[in-house]
Amino acid sequence: MRPNFFQHIHPPTIPAEQTRWRYTLGAGGTAIFLILVLAVSGALEMFYYIPSTGEAALSVQTISFLVPFGGLVRNLHFWAAQLLLIVSAVHLIRVVFTGSYALQRRFNYLLGLALFILVILLDFTGYVLRWDTGIQWALIVGTNLVKTIPWIGNSLYKALVGGAYPGSATLVRFYSWHVFGLMLLAAILMIWHVFRVRRDGGIAVPPPKQRDDIVRISRKELVRVEVVAMLLSGSALLLLSAYFPAPIAPGITEITALSGAASAPWFFIWVQQMLKWGDPFFWGVLVPLIVLTILGLIPFIFPKPASQDLGRWFPPSNRLAQIALVVIALVITALTLVELRPVQ
Amino acid sequence: MTNRFLLIASAILLTAIGLTWWLQSRQVQPVAITPSLTDQIEYCLTCHADLTEISPSHPVETYGCVLCHGGERLALDANLAHSSMRGGNNQSDLSVVEQSCGGSNCHSGESAEGQDHIQRVMTSIQSTYAGAIANVRYTYGAQTDLTPLFGSVAVNDTSLPSQTGILHLEAFAISSENNQFLQTFGENCLTCHLNSTGVEDSLSTRFTGCSACHSPAGESRAGEIHTLTTAMPYTQCNTCHNRGNYDLRTMTFVERSDEAVTRLESYYQPIGQFTQCEYSLDCVDCHTRTEAMGDGDIHANQKDIEYVQCKTCHGTLTELPLTMTLTDPEDIAFRLAQLNPLMDLQVGDTILVTEQGEPLWNTRLLPDGNYELIGKATKQLFIFRPVMGSACTQDGLEQSSAYCHECHAVEH
Repeated sequence: MRPNFFQHIHPPTIPAEQTRWRYTLGAGGTAIFLILVLAVSGALEMFYYIPSTGEAALSVQTISFLVPFGGLVRNLHFWAAQLLLIVSAVHLIRVVFTGSYALQRRFNYLLGLALFILVILLDFTGYVLRWDTGIQWALIVGTNLVKTIPWIGNSLYKALVGGAYPGSATLVRFYSWHVFGLMLLAAILMIWHVFRVRRDGGIAVPPPKQRDDIVRISRKELVRVEVVAMLLSGSALLLLSAYFPAPIAPGITEITALSGAASAPWFFIWVQQMLKWGDPFFWGVLVPLIVLTILGLIPFIFPKPASQDLGRWFPPSNRLAQIALVVIALVITALTLVELRPVQ
Repeated sequence: MTNRFLLIASAILLTAIGLTWWLQSRQVQPVAITPSLTDQIEYCLTCHADLTEISPSHPVETYGCVLCHGGERLALDANLAHSSMRGGNNQSDLSVVEQSCGGSNCHSGESAEGQDHIQRVMTSIQSTYAGAIANVRYTYGAQTDLTPLFGSVAVNDTSLPSQTGILHLEAFAISSENNQFLQTFGENCLTCHLNSTGVEDSLSTRFTGCSACHSPAGESRAGEIHTLTTAMPYTQCNTCHNRGNYDLRTMTFVERSDEAVTRLESYYQPIGQFTQCEYSLDCVDCHTRTEAMGDGDIHANQKDIEYVQCKTCHGTLTELPLTMTLTDPEDIAFRLAQLNPLMDLQVGDTILVTEQGEPLWNTRLLPDGNYELIGKATKQLFIFRPVMGSACTQDGLEQSSAYCHECHAVEH
């Protein structure tokens, strides 16, 4: 039987090692599935969402409460976005902890990191589109951080916000970035990233001569594995969305009022904690950029993993890179927990 | 990977879809209303369908809920829907009353049209409590005369020119008082004004703002009160004027200890004499809108604003009470009568008016020279006659109510 479309876009056979759950954790594939869910649910939301300051929050309420299955679609979009961030982070950690970024895959590592940044930006712009009091703090603080950048800060702020303070221009810009600009970039990079996986020899495993496991599986088998993964993650996503509604709050009435408690989205809570320490440019912009730079330099500054170690968890040859990532992850987690600790 | 995994995964997804479907089917069906004044759909009635209409003059089809109460009109989640409500459960609290009840088409309109309720209430003695504060501060030496300087909240007179010349009151603040008694006064005694809900769980418990008077709790004094009325029974006035008293030595509020059985006993003044009409009628049957809600000026004392006397309705030996014959169908008397339709007031009817020209719209001159009055809250009919031509022998110069009490108080 000739392969169908989905089978066709896969290689005819691949080493079974490349598809082991315990090796890949299925993170990259799940990320692609979540992006598809996001595209479909986002497209549905676009039929009802109104990107104007007066109506944005109301249209989100309309979607949440009145449109048939609108609440479910919005929850799916929300949870898929949160899971995408987690899954992307897991994917990054897997790649570093298995030394899979080495040699010819260095460029694709950078593509993947760029995708990770795009996912964060897509999450943040999507979060702002609610335009309710729940996002007000993060919007004002986030955009004000841009202002603190020397020389280009003010121009960048104007380009991003479209005025002296957030308003209707800001909402339309964030909307356009979310549904068009960032989406387009992310789509291009995603296709490129997947293409490079295949061009670079598939998921990293040792060269054929150094492999113990020489079993190969057909693309039919591969698609089946992927479908099982999709069914399971789809079930988890559906149940999350059905039982835990996405956050919602009353619309913003006065954008300049920075009232209420500080409340960054969860993935920026570590930055929110650092902002308490002083200079907003240093702690809010420079430090996150330094963290990003260290992540980007992992394939270039740390000892390269040996080729026979590819596809092995925690190979001793790239111990330094593993330690660097563990330190970064622990610090971010600790900062988040400190900020989230209950106030006495 | 065998087909078995595929089957199990499919079964799990089907279960998830089933659970989701079940949860979706349990969601409430929204009940929509599009009030004609806002023309914006709102879903409050989904949960509040059994709430009685607040008053005939605020029909829900016209006003809806959100125009007055605020809140998220589309939300079907209780927390979200209520999160942006004005003034919590009382949108008539004076801190938000302008947004809730105000506007030039509603209750902060022109004084000439009698629509400036909010401006007047804000500066009224019932809201500022300025007289009591000034008196107590004067008594304890914190000010040299009885000119009011402080109110329960800071307030400016916006309806200039001012007849009293008092244009501004600062907010009374415990922290800026040096005298310990005045500090205790601030802590314990500032409960009888429209910005306070009264002493908790007592006869004095009520709403703040407009609802302090216009949303009577009725018999039960419990549960949700969704009422606005101009037919306030005396019991609502008694939430403040309830015979409890302030003890100036301890600076505490002392609730009345006896249990009132008759209406006369429950009358609010601990000392004083009362004629029959004073304990048969409701307070609002005689006392006017201006007396209760102020005239727009900041006053120093209750006595400066209260002016209705026995003679307002009964006249004196030499003069009949003031009356007016209604000729204009747009007269405010008709509007007031419409709010509480007790009597079929007609153009051509002659009604009593106060010396300041306020219509006593629940009264009417009868062909035989007597007058009728219908109780605003009780709907009871009273027929009464003027003093002129009666056997009264009162000195013509002594015509204030105190002199009437000399003979007509129930004790005599």
